[in-house]
Amino acid sequence: MIELSHVFKQFGERLAVEDLTLTVPRGEIFGLLGHNGAGKSTAIGMMLGQVWPTRGEVRVCGHDISTDRGQALQKVGAIFEAPAFYDYLSGRRNLEILSSYTAYTAPARIRQVVDWVGLTGRENSTVRTYSHGMRARLALAQALLPGPEILILDEPGSGLDPEGIHEMRQMIQRLHRELGLTILLSSHLLHEVEQVCSRIAVLNQGRKVFEGRLSDIHTEPRWIRIKTSDFAGALKILRDARMVEDERDGEFMALSKDIGTDSVVRVLVERGMPLYEIAPDRDNLESFYLGLMTGKKQGG
Amino acid sequence: MFYLHLKNELWKLFGKKRTYIGFGAFLIAQNGMLLMFRFTHWQKSWERLLAGNGYLAQDYLSALTVALVMLIPQIILLMPLYTSLIGGDLVAKEAEDGTLRMILSRPISRFRLLLVKWIAGIIFSAVLILALGGTALAFARIWFPWRGMFIYSVWPEHVFNLLSAGAGTRLYLLSHVLMTINASAIVGLAFMFSCFNMKPAAATILALSFMFINLVLEHLPFFEPYQEWFLLYHFRVWLLIFADPIPWSRLVASLLILLAFNATTFLIGAAAFQARDIKS
Repeated sequence: MIELSHVFKQFGERLAVEDLTLTVPRGEIFGLLGHNGAGKSTAIGMMLGQVWPTRGEVRVCGHDISTDRGQALQKVGAIFEAPAFYDYLSGRRNLEILSSYTAYTAPARIRQVVDWVGLTGRENSTVRTYSHGMRARLALAQALLPGPEILILDEPGSGLDPEGIHEMRQMIQRLHRELGLTILLSSHLLHEVEQVCSRIAVLNQGRKVFEGRLSDIHTEPRWIRIKTSDFAGALKILRDARMVEDERDGEFMALSKDIGTDSVVRVLVERGMPLYEIAPDRDNLESFYLGLMTGKKQGG
Repeated sequence: MFYLHLKNELWKLFGKKRTYIGFGAFLIAQNGMLLMFRFTHWQKSWERLLAGNGYLAQDYLSALTVALVMLIPQIILLMPLYTSLIGGDLVAKEAEDGTLRMILSRPISRFRLLLVKWIAGIIFSAVLILALGGTALAFARIWFPWRGMFIYSVWPEHVFNLLSAGAGTRLYLLSHVLMTINASAIVGLAFMFSCFNMKPAAATILALSFMFINLVLEHLPFFEPYQEWFLLYHFRVWLLIFADPIPWSRLVASLLILLAFNATTFLIGAAAFQARDIKS
């Protein structure tokens, strides 16, 4: 649904995006990750025709955004970090104004969407009286009004409290489940991305360093976490048995090749070592991401 | 859809409290002028001027005469300031607030967006001028009768004329059309700067600076033969409409130049806006 092909963007001397090729397939929740200044917002700006690529091609819903922006954005909704509204106008008037830039929207449709996002009863109040959460819901309503097929969310969790983040996560899953939207989510919140996205791309200094399914990053467990009354003693036993190669943080051990957790449990129990907990330490998104950033991991 | 977009732009402009604070400031200023005219030696000096030229003061010190007296300083001083503020806000304020990014995530073309904003700015100018002229006349009518019109101005143009109430009213209305063109040229100038990547205040200051530099240069003796090259020279036709005889050739030439100026500022602004990247 969104394709970037060898896209470059230069601001003066600075290369903000370098040779970015990316595909957001239909029906996916796609996470776009990267540090501040990695090029995420520039990439999203190019997808929405707000930032002109220096080189390369951006296609949205099959249309070139540079030459056919009107068609390309017909079925796209977007929500930005700290969504901005005309605070002196009512929520309903804001929705009428913003949706009119896509097409005329009937009052019944506005009522329907206001109800869907849970703003019924407050739509006629001026936006300056809205709480942060209500503004987030209004932002969602304006994005949903044109009946989009793609929803682009640029740092939607920024500034939200834990409850707000939880609500946002539920909302993204609901949008995907109930409306079947393709969602592009740019975020710093790795835990949230891990919970909702099926596919991710990681940008670092304007370059893509990884793109693939989230399941691809979950590597085979080699590290295990052990909870025992005497970690040093347990480590000595397992090292003597040539079952462990490395340890870290007084809690984790790297098992030797072909050694399973069942063997570890058996040896420790036979030696009378109290063992409270043993679990594989799977690679999570955070460790994978940090590995990519520090160059310890290679992108796919 | 074009009408809908235009209606929305007008909602944005007229939905702001600041708009009405500006209108209020104009009302206070024009009533200050009215009270000064009525209760200082000003009125007496005009009565003497009329009598000295062989006219009866009671025939010409009318609502129309005083309304124009109230308007002149406002049109020269306050109107450029206020319309520059509005024009400077049209695009740059939306960019600063972040609403421009919300709009441009929609399939509307940048050119159409600018066009509706520019037209909304011109409609705003017309409403402002008509409101000023209407309220000036209404307040002047409270104190003065509806009679002939006496026009006396030394600066920015020398005009001395006496008109019947009917002719005075017609020219008073026509002068408002010309004032609207002046106001729209100032809105257009500030709007052009506002289309570049800058703060709304910077766009307003640049527009005001442009006019101030015009004013200063125009009055330097060196530039006297080149007066028609300055924008403010063409702004003065709204006052010359009251001259006898009306300098139609200068009026038409100035009007065409102002219309061309409006088109030029719009196109420069549109080109700059089209090329620029919209980022948060």
